[in-house]
Amino acid sequence: MKIKGVIVMLLGWAVPGLGHAVQKKYVRAVLFFVAIFAMTGLGLAMGGKIYPMYLEPPRTVLDYLFNLFRKENPLTVLAFFADLGNGLFYALSRVFSWGGGQLERATFEFGTAYIAGAGLLNFLVALDAYDIGAGKKK
Amino acid sequence: MIFESLLLSMVVYAFFVALVLALIRRDDTKARLKYGLVLFAVMTVGAVAFGWFMFLFIKK
Repeated sequence: MKIKGVIVMLLGWAVPGLGHAVQKKYVRAVLFFVAIFAMTGLGLAMGGKIYPMYLEPPRTVLDYLFNLFRKENPLTVLAFFADLGNGLFYALSRVFSWGGGQLERATFEFGTAYIAGAGLLNFLVALDAYDIGAGKKK
Repeated sequence: MIFESLLLSMVVYAFFVALVLALIRRDDTKARLKYGLVLFAVMTVGAVAFGWFMFLFIKK
C-alpha cells in the first residue's frame, strides 16, 4: 500500500471529495461533496436514522469488548457500517445527537436509506481517491 | 414534510447514485454521461416495473 494513497483515502473518507481535492481533481471533488452531502442532508431532513455502534453508552471496559453491537437486532450492525462511511459527519452526528430517527414519519425508511447510501458511496469515493494516489488511475 | 412522494425520493436517490458511480467507474466525459444515464434509467424504470410486478400479489 502506498502511504500517499492511504492518506488521501482517509481524507476522502473523513470529508467526501477531500481526497480528490488534495490531488487537484477539483471538479470531481465538488461533485462528490455535493452529491454525498445532499444525500445525507436529505436523509436527515426526512427523519432518517443514523445507527450508533452501541445501544447504550459503554460503562466499563468489558462493555467495550463484549457489548460492541446491538444484540436484539443484529442486522443494524450493517446499517452502522454503512453510516460510518459518512466519516466526519458520522462523528458529528454522535456529538450533536443528529439522526435519532423519526419512526412516525412516512419518509423514515427512505431517509435512513439515503444516509446509508451516502455512506456506502463515500467508501467507494475514498477507494477511488486511493487508486489515484497510488497511481493506478488518473 | 420533505419528499412525501416515494417515487420522487427514489428518482433523486437514483440520480445521486448514478452521478457518483459514473464519475468513479468511467474515465472520459462521454462514457461517464452514457454510463450515468443508463444506470439512472435502469434504477428508475426497474423500480417502477418491480413495483407494478408486486401489484400482482396484492391481497384483496
